[in-house]
Amino acid sequence: MDKLTEVLKYKFGYDSFREGQKEIIEQVIAGQDVVAILPTGMGKSLLYQLPGYLMEGSIVIVSPLLSLMQDQVEQLKILGEKRVVAINSFLSFEQKEKVFRNLSSYKFIFTSPEMLQNDRFNHALSAIRIAYIVADEAHCISQWGFDFRPDYLRIAKWLQQFRQTNVLALTATATSKVVEDIKTTLLMREPFEYIHSLDRPAIAYEAVEVKDAKEKLAWIIGRVTSTNGPGILYTQSRKKTEMYAHELQKRGIRVAYYHAKMEQDDRILVQQQFQQGQLEWICATNAFGMGIHKDNIRQIIHDHIPTSIASYMQEVGRAARDGAQSIASLLFTATDVEQAFYVAMQDFPEEADIRLAYESNDISLQLPETTTRILDYWKEELKEQETIQLFQTIKQKKWAEILSLYTMLQNEVCIREQLLHYFDEELTNRPKYCCSKCSLPLQEILVERKQRSEQKEEMNWKIKLDELLLS
Amino acid sequence: MYFQQLLLLIIHKFQGERSSTAPYYLLKGKKSGQTIQDVTYFQLHPYFSLYPKLAKETYEEFMKNLHAEGFIVMNESRVAITEKGLHQIVSIRRPFYNGWVLRGKEFIFWGRLELIVQTLSQFQGNEKKFVPVQKSNEIHHFVKVFLQEKDFHSSSFGSHFKKQLFHLLENNRLLEIHRNLFVYRLSGYKNSGLTWEQLASHHHLNVVDVKFLFIECLHILLNDITEEKYPDLHVLTKGIYVQNPLTDSASKTSQLFAKGYSIEEIARMRFLKENTIEDHVIEIVSADPAFPIQAFISNEQVQKVLHIARERQTKKLKIIREELPDLSYFQIRLALTKGEEING
Repeated sequence: MDKLTEVLKYKFGYDSFREGQKEIIEQVIAGQDVVAILPTGMGKSLLYQLPGYLMEGSIVIVSPLLSLMQDQVEQLKILGEKRVVAINSFLSFEQKEKVFRNLSSYKFIFTSPEMLQNDRFNHALSAIRIAYIVADEAHCISQWGFDFRPDYLRIAKWLQQFRQTNVLALTATATSKVVEDIKTTLLMREPFEYIHSLDRPAIAYEAVEVKDAKEKLAWIIGRVTSTNGPGILYTQSRKKTEMYAHELQKRGIRVAYYHAKMEQDDRILVQQQFQQGQLEWICATNAFGMGIHKDNIRQIIHDHIPTSIASYMQEVGRAARDGAQSIASLLFTATDVEQAFYVAMQDFPEEADIRLAYESNDISLQLPETTTRILDYWKEELKEQETIQLFQTIKQKKWAEILSLYTMLQNEVCIREQLLHYFDEELTNRPKYCCSKCSLPLQEILVERKQRSEQKEEMNWKIKLDELLLS
Repeated sequence: MYFQQLLLLIIHKFQGERSSTAPYYLLKGKKSGQTIQDVTYFQLHPYFSLYPKLAKETYEEFMKNLHAEGFIVMNESRVAITEKGLHQIVSIRRPFYNGWVLRGKEFIFWGRLELIVQTLSQFQGNEKKFVPVQKSNEIHHFVKVFLQEKDFHSSSFGSHFKKQLFHLLENNRLLEIHRNLFVYRLSGYKNSGLTWEQLASHHHLNVVDVKFLFIECLHILLNDITEEKYPDLHVLTKGIYVQNPLTDSASKTSQLFAKGYSIEEIARMRFLKENTIEDHVIEIVSADPAFPIQAFISNEQVQKVLHIARERQTKKLKIIREELPDLSYFQIRLALTKGEEING
């Protein structure tokens, strides 16, 4: 067994690498800058975790999504790694100071883009040995990416002080344009690029046009009560997650809803129940998915047109991690295009907002947080007219993207081909079960659901306590 | 049903002398002079800060229902219980709460316990890799230290801990629903706890009802936990009781009083209004009955105020002041606060 496989087995408990993992890890260890694009569920975390055990010094991981960061820290801890810390706005001043003083004792240092401006942090970083820097969710760097984080752009300036340190950029979805942005922003020198096909052959695509919301509900009830999960039903509002869960529950489905407004403890319990198989379905907003480590999800249903193709790929990608046949269904009506555009534009600054931002110093009271954050950034970089121009362009692109997604669903062309094409990729091997435009014998893909005779059991705390703990 | 009755109880205690937001601030544990003073005036200690996360919309919805049912009457400045409302609570079981000293921190105890049970259960199932149900680093650290000191790998500790828990839950002040909520909220090996929503729908109750029952359950259990009876569980209560019930600001004022400064001097030193310092005095007296108030009002005057309050059956400052125009509102408030200490 070679060294890499040995570490893989010993630290992570796997026998062999997945496609691409080994190549990338070797390049990281060899001291190369690397851009790696791997679809969701293909083991991205391992790419930055494993080399850490073969190199001296700490690994700094810049991660723009706080919930994702917490999950990554948790996953490392579950693997038994104690030398891991997340430095972000959740820490108090005292906690940060304490971490800064002992920075070199951490092998994995996670941080948010905001923290890169913290002088005390940078000072502490300059005093320790850094093996390599990881830019996670690197597509957020690009304004063309689906969740652009202006703060993340500040990483360019920050990296100047680490010119000798190599950078590993990771993302699940990126068009070639986004890849170019990533390479420039991260000051990469002839990086090794690994672009895994975004195709997930085990996932079949199904597009279903219906008349209205009522038909959607009827379709969903029909599908969920007659075929097997586990599955996730994605919808766009908290209210709708509750409505769907309620309707399905009435029909004997073990289901729960999930959205960001729930108490954290309840969210954890729902995730856990789904993971452990106590629930068949989750009706969720896009807040659900990060931190779900479940291999056997068989169905993903969208009751709407998503606001971006990349986010759609990410949500769909949660199915079939075990490689077994799964299906992604998308229900839409003709008016859903406008709805998608409306949702996408919710936090988007209007021309008046931009003018306001340039006139006053504090706009946080009048505009949503995301908008404020984006405008605060561009105010420093561009003139008023340029910013207005920029956002007009982005808006047009967004509209075009949503329209093209709508076209993909409606026309007669293979969905898989079109999705891949959007990411500048050609389909080379068409799987047997491709999409509803090719051929999709549903009865071969979907397994019939067996109604469990479920009687509501009385609660008996003594019995449950006996199940939890041995006497 | 449960929360509704609890609200009626609280409204009843306010004796029709406060506005419809007063119960909300009480349950949220608002640290304002008014709320804290009312706690003492109306003997509301059990309910103070009972549920700091209570959403305003939820509260308002319940109040609207109470009104629609004719259980309460309200106008802009007052809310009072009606005959019909009183009828709803005459024969109910009196709830047990200990809000004044716990203030929402019973959930720290719960979090520790929940994570310990999960850890023991996972280890007994031989699955040492699991996602913890609690995310807070403080709780992780606490539980780690606790378990490491206990030799928790041994089956004897597990069964010992379970026995204590079992015994604790047999407390006869608890209803069966308390015990079920408590245990079914717990998670372990291949066995996940239930969400509030799931617990509520099982019992055909509201989510708020279930939460307040759960909090009551914790308060009853905590009241029973002593070091002698439950040595291990007692460790989990560390630091959850409020030691100094004063707000930080009132605490500072209190320290300055101890050094002999007057209200005016303290106000000047701290760049605060005298009104604010007076609120602090009320807060200090509420928390510490032994605090001397002779500097602000004589004993004789206190007795006069209390006499009028009793005779007129009111705690309304305006009515009392009409009879004792020489006293300030502050002095009357002080006398009423002190009076509750004497009577209560």
